[in-house]
Amino acid sequence: MHWLMNLFTQLRLFFPPDHSWSFIWAERVPLLETVEIAAGAMVFSLSVGLVLALIIGARLPGSRLLYAALVSVRAIPDLTMAILFVMLVGIGPGAGMLAIAVYYGAAMGKVCGDLFVSADPGPVESLASTGTGSFTVAFYGLLPLRLKDLLTYGAYDFECAMRASVIVGAVGAGGIGTEIVGTINNYDYSHTTTLILMLVALIAVFDLCALAVRKYPRLLLLFVIGGIISAWECRPQMFAWSHTLDNLRKMWPPVIPRERIGDLPRLLGETLEIAFGGTALAVLFALPLGAMGARNLAPAWMHFPVRRLFEFLRAIPEVVWGLLLVTMAGIGPASGALALGLHSTGVFGKLYAESIENVQPEPVMALAATGGPRIAIASFGLLPLAFPPMAIHTLFRFEWNIRAATIVGMIGAGGIGGALYNAQQLFFYDQMLAYLLITWALVMLADWANGQLRKRWKVTEGLI
Amino acid sequence: MTVLNIQDLVVVRSRHAPPVLNGISLSLRRGEKVAILGPSGAGKTTLFRAINGFVPIQSGSITVDNISLKDLHGKALRQLRRHVAVVSQRHDLVDRLRVHQNVMAGALGRWSAWRALRFLFWPKAEELAEAEAALRRVGIAHKLRVRTSEISGGEHQRVAVARALVQQPSLLLADEPIASLDPELSDQILSLICSLANESGFALLCSLHQPEYAYKYFDRVVRIEHGVIQSVENNQARTNATANRDAEIIRQAGD
Repeated sequence: MHWLMNLFTQLRLFFPPDHSWSFIWAERVPLLETVEIAAGAMVFSLSVGLVLALIIGARLPGSRLLYAALVSVRAIPDLTMAILFVMLVGIGPGAGMLAIAVYYGAAMGKVCGDLFVSADPGPVESLASTGTGSFTVAFYGLLPLRLKDLLTYGAYDFECAMRASVIVGAVGAGGIGTEIVGTINNYDYSHTTTLILMLVALIAVFDLCALAVRKYPRLLLLFVIGGIISAWECRPQMFAWSHTLDNLRKMWPPVIPRERIGDLPRLLGETLEIAFGGTALAVLFALPLGAMGARNLAPAWMHFPVRRLFEFLRAIPEVVWGLLLVTMAGIGPASGALALGLHSTGVFGKLYAESIENVQPEPVMALAATGGPRIAIASFGLLPLAFPPMAIHTLFRFEWNIRAATIVGMIGAGGIGGALYNAQQLFFYDQMLAYLLITWALVMLADWANGQLRKRWKVTEGLI
Repeated sequence: MTVLNIQDLVVVRSRHAPPVLNGISLSLRRGEKVAILGPSGAGKTTLFRAINGFVPIQSGSITVDNISLKDLHGKALRQLRRHVAVVSQRHDLVDRLRVHQNVMAGALGRWSAWRALRFLFWPKAEELAEAEAALRRVGIAHKLRVRTSEISGGEHQRVAVARALVQQPSLLLADEPIASLDPELSDQILSLICSLANESGFALLCSLHQPEYAYKYFDRVVRIEHGVIQSVENNQARTNATANRDAEIIRQAGD
């Protein structure tokens, strides 16, 4: 109760937002920086990812090792990657850009590599029989075969990277995220609200861009020019090899001091608590809300505003919810769980509503013909039939939330992410690496479990 | 006593297309069994949906138990739907529920929402007994708590019929109930619903593709094409002998 009281008292400090034009105008610089981070990272990740994917597709020597490396890199959450680069190349947008470029480059390389490997071998073999080098074969044989899927995934990757660019600032990697943390640290909450509203607007613009790219994937080529310019603008300003190498050396060997080892179970427990609590909260909220948002179940005056609520909850990334809640309700796993809960409610709400809408209509019609009340028909027909897809979405999101729990941990929710962030802030880089490896192992484990489930249930879709 | 009375029914799908049903008149008494024959797209399913109040009536009238369907909404419409049970082609049971839950779905019209929810999780003994009694009448009492996805095609239709029985209707609409069944099962299902109509006294309106089944089981055969009734025949060939044999088949199937 005390915790809730705190939340509401603090909430008042965030209103009204400062909507003076002078402030908004002054924030154009970090806003532009965020756009540059996104665009610059995209050029890197798409081009490097594609080349890596071709190497895997052509089965060049070492491609297995490369694939394993890409899978490993992808298991370092993007914000964790950002903190690593902040340490290596200094505070600023350069670190953010590199972090996103590396993370999404690996993701692109892995997924597109999978696409190439599963491509029809016929045309490729006939090309190979002409005696050309294997990379040329891959370029002329695989690329055209998979162009459509590549563009689809490229557009998806583009969307994710743009959203990530907004949050990397939370650990000092530049852009609007850094500004938000700055206002919070200065108790300047009315500006925090303004910045978050700007961020939501920016994400809306990004989503529009992504929608355009999804429709006309060739637009990606247009973004390449802007991306190259942005990448140059964002280049790390205080970069020095000696500094980077020195910090890398300080990371090795990873170590956790003896007196901290006893804390490990608690830290891991907190992270799992955040992930599990957030998912459970979201299920609790999203079950009734999802039914209220289903067009075949709820009247328009109900499902329309409920769907808008889902969009709003989804538009604010977990990290931003986390920053807000940590400020309002205090640091600790409860704030982290609520942050994941709010964002996931938006995700689940939409997915649950769609699961209910996609139920085969005949059995439900037959139930409606008995003349029963709406709720009875929903609970006998719609909900049991919508249950399997809802369960799958929920489990997969839980896996995502384990990753997200380490991220919100870094901005004050505690757990293993919190320990990592504290070690970095105190320059204990060897400890930081140890916590990073633990995070990595945790995410790899969740990823593996997820893969097993997918195989067992024969689920192929689910890039959400 | 007249259960269903349809006068000059016109149903349109859009303003420019020709009417789906164009001046249908039809009347059924208690216990009467009527077959509707016609090709796909003749308007049979639309007629059934109109009787259930799922399709707006352009002109003409439908009354069920002397209550007019026209302009009924919400609760009043739902109450009238309780009088009319539906058995259709496959796919109209909820596969993920168990058989007893599907059967008692027939009671949703007279149950409160709360009772419906409670039944899903904590069925009472008397409710299960009612479901079992209905299943016994269709010959598969032993399938009471089986998963619906695990029963055969013929059993599937029997469960749908049991659900209709639980609804205690005045009128049973059977929309091509044998469309996906083999000849032997088709005979079983048709003789089952016909003898249940004799026992319980509900009127039966059944759409079919095959004339031979229509003449074998039904009192009247209505042919419909392009939304218009082409002919109505009183079926004299059906004798008491066939009705007795129907009863025999049901008894065997129950064993």
